Amino acid sequence: MANRSSKLGRLYIIIVFLLLYIPIVYLILYSFSKGTTMTNFNGFTLTHYGELFADKRMLAIFLDTILIALLSSTFSTIIGTMGALAVNNTKRRHQRETLLSLNNILLVSPDVIIGASFLIFFTALKVPLGFWSVLLSHIAFEIPIVLLMVLPRLDEMSPSLINAANDLGATTGQTLSRIVLPVIQPGIIAGFFMAITYSLDDFAVTFFVTGNGFSTLSVEIYSRARQGISLEINALAGIMFIFSLILVVVYYFIENHNASKLKKQDKLEVTGK
Amino acid sequence: MRRSFKTMFYTPYMLWLVLFVISPVALIVYYSFFNIHHQFTFSNYQEFFSSGTYLTMTANSVLYAFLITLFSILISYPMALVISKLKHRDLWILLVILPTWINLLLKAYAFIGLLSHDGLVNNIFQFFGLPVQHMLFTDASFILVAAYIQIPFMILPIYNSMTDISESYIKASRDLGATNWQTLTKIIIPLTMPGIKSGIQIVFIPSLSLFMLSRLIGGNKVITLGTAVEEHFLTTMNWGMGSTIGVVLIISMVIVMLLTTTKRNRRRS
Amino acid sequence: MSKTIIELKNVYKKYDDFTALKNINFTLNAGEFYTLLGPSGCGKTTILQSIAGFTEVTSGQVLFDGKKINDIPANQRPLNTVFQDYALFPNMNVYDNVAFGLVVHKVSKDEIETRVHDALKLVQLEQYAHREISELSGGQQQRIAIARAIINRPKVLLLDEPLSALDAKLRKDMQYELRDLQQRLGITFLFVTHDQEEALAMSDHIFVMNKGEILQKGSPVDIYDEPINHFVANFIGESNIIPGKMVADYQVAFLGHQFECADAGMRPNEPVEVVIRPEDLVITTPEKGKLQVKVDTQLFRGDYYEIMATDNQGDEWLIHSTNATKDDAVIGLTFGPTDMHIMRYNETETKFNQRLETYED
Repeated sequence: MANRSSKLGRLYIIIVFLLLYIPIVYLILYSFSKGTTMTNFNGFTLTHYGELFADKRMLAIFLDTILIALLSSTFSTIIGTMGALAVNNTKRRHQRETLLSLNNILLVSPDVIIGASFLIFFTALKVPLGFWSVLLSHIAFEIPIVLLMVLPRLDEMSPSLINAANDLGATTGQTLSRIVLPVIQPGIIAGFFMAITYSLDDFAVTFFVTGNGFSTLSVEIYSRARQGISLEINALAGIMFIFSLILVVVYYFIENHNASKLKKQDKLEVTGK
Repeated sequence: MRRSFKTMFYTPYMLWLVLFVISPVALIVYYSFFNIHHQFTFSNYQEFFSSGTYLTMTANSVLYAFLITLFSILISYPMALVISKLKHRDLWILLVILPTWINLLLKAYAFIGLLSHDGLVNNIFQFFGLPVQHMLFTDASFILVAAYIQIPFMILPIYNSMTDISESYIKASRDLGATNWQTLTKIIIPLTMPGIKSGIQIVFIPSLSLFMLSRLIGGNKVITLGTAVEEHFLTTMNWGMGSTIGVVLIISMVIVMLLTTTKRNRRRS
Repeated sequence: MSKTIIELKNVYKKYDDFTALKNINFTLNAGEFYTLLGPSGCGKTTILQSIAGFTEVTSGQVLFDGKKINDIPANQRPLNTVFQDYALFPNMNVYDNVAFGLVVHKVSKDEIETRVHDALKLVQLEQYAHREISELSGGQQQRIAIARAIINRPKVLLLDEPLSALDAKLRKDMQYELRDLQQRLGITFLFVTHDQEEALAMSDHIFVMNKGEILQKGSPVDIYDEPINHFVANFIGESNIIPGKMVADYQVAFLGHQFECADAGMRPNEPVEVVIRPEDLVITTPEKGKLQVKVDTQLFRGDYYEIMATDNQGDEWLIHSTNATKDDAVIGLTFGPTDMHIMRYNETETKFNQRLETYED
């Protein structure tokens, strides 16, 4: 009986995984299709990739998107980590909960609300819409997720570590750079990568604050998709899929590098006993 | 000296809180009291609560968001349950996460192809002898695509709460004579309620405002609160009305948050 | 007379609606082993933290070598701490942990190497320098924490329940080692614990605390033999505490009998409490006994039998005996005048000491 239900379970997850991946495979498959529609596969070709690479506008947008992602995630990681330190240092429970709820507002708000309110904000401050407004918006909505990735590490850290460093004569700066930052480093890295994905994934907020001159890939895909099927977008999907995979691999490489250090220690501890 | 170091350190974050969290919310509330000619008025709210269009739109948005959330739970819960029992569950859950790394618009775009008149889905229907359906630009397709996009975000919190359950609870339940079904309904589901609730938070609120999906997949027929906000801000330039709808969205967001968090607090205290 | 190294004068620590420390006064002499003993939440760790500089006292003075150090931050105070959870930095190996105090003081590399080597040698872990912290057992981590704390050559070492995470066997071994280490280094140890056995075994002086106050100061033997009140008698070792009446000097009455005792200096017929330690009670036949009790249960503890019995007034008696008795048997108990210790209600430590001096040699 248990065996049958587990077989049923396996069948179920295989079906769901198929449903999850069919659209993606379908999308990328047609990037290699001759013709112009996503309906008949007319034989293998790389022309859509050729078109994509020859598309100067698309290339510029691609580079802008990457630039925005890297810059915004760097700044948001710095500010978010500072914020996590601030929240961690707030000992009164009530104050801490207020700070955390304020922090989470941007995480739970619908994208259109963030986009619309930032649009009002930039207009009120007379910030011109374009690169800077998009960059500032991305930094703004990435900060809370960085904080949420870093804070648990800080909370887990025994407060006596900081007291110990202090006790041995370290200044606040030394304690921060030699003890706190190294200990919470995995959270900072995770936060940085989450920030990059948030930036690359965002459409709605960017769409509101981008103005006329500047564009990111999401906005570009949206405006082209509204005009109908263009297999150049499929080719772009193929490239972005590979880019995502590389990002995953890089992240897991860094994670494993950290984890393998720990694993090695575990092993030694076991054999040592 | 230590104090000044601290304040220097906290300033950027506090500045962010004030500039990008508090003031945008305040601005949207402020703007909701102005009409298109920049005059102070309550007419936006009057219009919202008296016009059939806006009220139907609100009802529709809530209904769609509810259906999207419901379908995601129905598909995600068994999925999380089975994966949490598998040997290499970390690897499988990675496969669930992977699609979320692909741009939402690309996924929506894929469905334009899949659901089109000569697309894959209709090909399969034809293979089984079913008539060709006109699926693109319908409400059903909007809900389907939205659920597809949200499923991984629903699986993750449920899966996390499942892996938190100690194996001994399940053994204890079996030991006391519960059937698999009883163990599921009386032990596993109550213990994974926090996961389901945070899943609802993650899925329901954004589903209220998926304007790009309703534009791409739903056509212009499905008008949700999200599309209305976009239209007022970027097309008709009636920021006051757009802000009013925004305030309604914020309030409904707060309601959902309260509904999905109160019980957890009660249990803790 | 050795010289005073630390002094606390009228120290108070108040939180919003809670007073953690009430008028704490004590002096620590150079080179001795002190223990702050009390149940959890009694304020003993707060005292340690205000000396270390991790918390600010609300009022009063903390003096080090005669100088007030209230406003000196922790990283500039010339004393070091061994933490309850060791607080070894997980991102550094053993060597870097021990060297940390020297590195932040910008000591030269050569000197760091010799001093780290010496410190590790002192705790007998010199071959572990390049291990990671997670590779060490609890006892080894404990010693590294000590090595790290003494690297800056402090005059005072503060130890915050350092043995509480170790198992019973290792804990006993570490008691010997800590005592030995303190004598070799010749510096002052201020040790915090809730374990009375630990306190009795290691200390030169014990300060017994409860609810933010120091109740009694003294040598382990003084505190064990002459507890000042019910709380101290109960907290240090096991005891039978019986309400009684001081008929006259050296005469106490309880359970309807009058006994000769070794205490004096109270008002005639003053109500008192009488303490008799379980190991001071001797079992005899009911006829020979000063008291008759009925045995309820007995447990074999290895080196002695622990016997629970009840007298005819319903009071419970705890007796330690090398010989077993029979369950439900009626037995006699005898004890000498010096086996009893008399405590007055609400006597302060100063008054207690003054009274003792009036009749003790």
